[in-house]
Amino acid sequence: MIRLENLTKKFSSVTAVNGISLEIKQGEIFGFLGPNGAGKTTTIKMMAGLIKPTAGDVYIQNWNISTHPQQAKQLCGFIPDRPFLYGKLTGREFLGFMARLYNVAALHIGPRTNQLFELFEMTDYGDDLIESYSHGMKQRLVMAGALIHKPVALIVDEPMVGLDPRGSRLVRRLFRELCNGGATVFMSTHTLEIAEEMCDRIGIIQDGQLIAVGTMKELRAASGSQAERLEPIFFRLTGDEALEKVTDSLQL
Amino acid sequence: MMKLLYPRLAQIRNRLKHRNSRTYAKTLIMVFFGIFFWAAIFIVFYRVLAYFKGIEIVGAFLAAKLLSMVILSFFSILIFSNIITALSVFFMSEELQLVTATPYDSDELYLSKLAETVIISSWMVALFSLPVFLSYGIIFRQDAAYYFMVLLTLIPLFVISGALGTAVALGLVKSFPARRLKDIFFLLALFLFVGLYSMFRFMKPERLVDPDTFFTVIDYLSVLKAPTSPFLPSQWVTDVLSAFLFQKHGQDSGFSFACLWSTALAFTVMLGWCFRRIFFDAWTKAQEAKTIRVKRWSFFNRLLEGVLSPLSPPLRAIVDKDARSFLRDTAQWSQLFILLAIIVIYLYNFSVLPLDKSPIPTRQLQNILSFLNLGLAGFVITAVAVRFAFPAISLEGESFWIIKSSPVGLRGLIRCKFWMNCILLSVLAEVLIICSNWLLGVDLVMMLLYALTVLLMTFGITSLGIGIGAAFPRFRYENIAQIPTGFGGLLYMMLAMLFCVLIVVVEALPLQMYLAAVESGQPLRPGQWGIIASCIVFIFSLSAAACIVPMKIGLYRLSRLESF
Repeated sequence: MIRLENLTKKFSSVTAVNGISLEIKQGEIFGFLGPNGAGKTTTIKMMAGLIKPTAGDVYIQNWNISTHPQQAKQLCGFIPDRPFLYGKLTGREFLGFMARLYNVAALHIGPRTNQLFELFEMTDYGDDLIESYSHGMKQRLVMAGALIHKPVALIVDEPMVGLDPRGSRLVRRLFRELCNGGATVFMSTHTLEIAEEMCDRIGIIQDGQLIAVGTMKELRAASGSQAERLEPIFFRLTGDEALEKVTDSLQL
Repeated sequence: MMKLLYPRLAQIRNRLKHRNSRTYAKTLIMVFFGIFFWAAIFIVFYRVLAYFKGIEIVGAFLAAKLLSMVILSFFSILIFSNIITALSVFFMSEELQLVTATPYDSDELYLSKLAETVIISSWMVALFSLPVFLSYGIIFRQDAAYYFMVLLTLIPLFVISGALGTAVALGLVKSFPARRLKDIFFLLALFLFVGLYSMFRFMKPERLVDPDTFFTVIDYLSVLKAPTSPFLPSQWVTDVLSAFLFQKHGQDSGFSFACLWSTALAFTVMLGWCFRRIFFDAWTKAQEAKTIRVKRWSFFNRLLEGVLSPLSPPLRAIVDKDARSFLRDTAQWSQLFILLAIIVIYLYNFSVLPLDKSPIPTRQLQNILSFLNLGLAGFVITAVAVRFAFPAISLEGESFWIIKSSPVGLRGLIRCKFWMNCILLSVLAEVLIICSNWLLGVDLVMMLLYALTVLLMTFGITSLGIGIGAAFPRFRYENIAQIPTGFGGLLYMMLAMLFCVLIVVVEALPLQMYLAAVESGQPLRPGQWGIIASCIVFIFSLSAAACIVPMKIGLYRLSRLESF
């Protein structure tokens, strides 16, 4: 469903993403983890077609996003970490706008909008200007916008930022249901518990390179750790010396 | 105070430090244009003052009156500008969240924010008022003491304006939401500009240089009478500088000078008291988000859907979104008033042209004026497009990711923005050119020729606006008016004006041949037909290039943009 082949991105002399190759199957939730500045957001931006790779390719259902952006993007829904939206539109108008951008038939726009508003518990706010929404509300609206055309691949950067516990639970259930229905979710997160709970497989990126990929069991084997939780495995894989220094200095 | 101003100063220092050849080139061009406008202001004032000085009896009076009006205008602009800036600096700065959570000293916060407000609001007035004061100094032969006094009077004027603006902002934010107020004051500032511009034009300032009406100058002065009051700080500045310029050094100016400085200091201290009492409440109020509910206006929705129905759904989505945002954003729709003022004054200028008084035969004058009108209309369309077409891509703002990650693609976005602007600007261009030519009494053939030429020009100007706007987008802005103020806006203005000049110059030759042939009743020679054909081919080629090249460059640069 989603395939990255030797994906590379250089900014001047800095290599942000260095030859990542990865395949995510249909119906899978893939978690993308890594320390700050590891290259997660750059990878996601290339997958969403926001920036061009220096080398390598991104395929969404065999459509190359560089050579066939229209077809590839039509299949995708993208949820960024910061929900910048058109403040002067209402929530309902925004969903109508997104539906038309993704060529949803006019007949289906109204019912689909209502369905998503209900799902994200936003029905009462549909006619309010987006500029008056809270961060969490905007995040919910972005998610609704990304789902309006029923994408088969969902690319998500930090899905839980700004969501309250209720919203967070809703999103976790929603992603699982989407995957059960045949969609694929690729999400980056810093919250290891969420990755552990939600993801079928996890990829860990550090300094632009994919250092480990697999299920929890496979990551455990790769790291040589016997720990049950993801956190110690993650630190073992990414090197915990730096973290220890930080925690030591904080204890002073 | 300095510790709170430090982040701002450090940002400026870092920006200056981390420069590359591209930013140097941009800065150089900005400086060049700054010097150009500075020099233009100086030349205009120098010539006007030199002319005034040559008029016996009333010359000095006129110069003093002009000084009073200029300083009053500066004062009005400063107050409006300070209110808008104070709303941003005192209530909407991002770092305030952090500062108010620290054990900050309220006096330090107040003084640093007041200094920031005064500097942001006043630097441009200070810079562009210098050529005015310089021209006064040169014409009325002043020494260094006068220039030193200009500095000593402007500083308290800036502080008084800053304190007044901040006081108004503090008082209003306590009762109304800050963001809404900013919109309202932006709108008021725009009305002030349009009002002053229209008032100045309808006062017929050209009468002043017309010898026939010179005997009525006393009547004219009564029209010019500026609203002055001995209690206005601008009048104190005028009094101090007039004492230097038109009387002996420093005579009778001590009291006004003392008024200026004592008021500036007293306002700063009193505002400090108010700040300590009001600020935290007002700032808390400014943080409260207010729900703005929009009625589903079915008639408007149906109308918009009907008009946009021929478009594909993605393009309809973009136009629909832009139309709604335009109508709901005060900063955007209020620019229509500028447009309206431009049209009315443009046409008014043609309606008052004294064609019959000219020594050139009326028919010939008509042709010259209608031809010059073509260039003028081009400049007007360029000026309008810099406010509407140039910011079109930047208006996507930080929501640009939505379009870029969608299947519409940037080509679709750029084309959509081009047609939206081109259609509206073409209507404006045709209204201007047809109405002004009708007022000039131009015949039908020429009217059609000018209508076609201005249409070609509008296509080129729009494409330049959209293309260069896409090549130099500014997705982070506080107000739409900021978007064209950078390097891209200058480049667009330069290229669009060059394009208009080229079209007009190249069209002049065949037109002159054609009109000469019509006047003499002789048919055009084959060689002349050749020249006419070449010029037409050149005009069409240039227009085609102006339509295609900027959009391609804009698309290329926008698609390579990696941070937004």
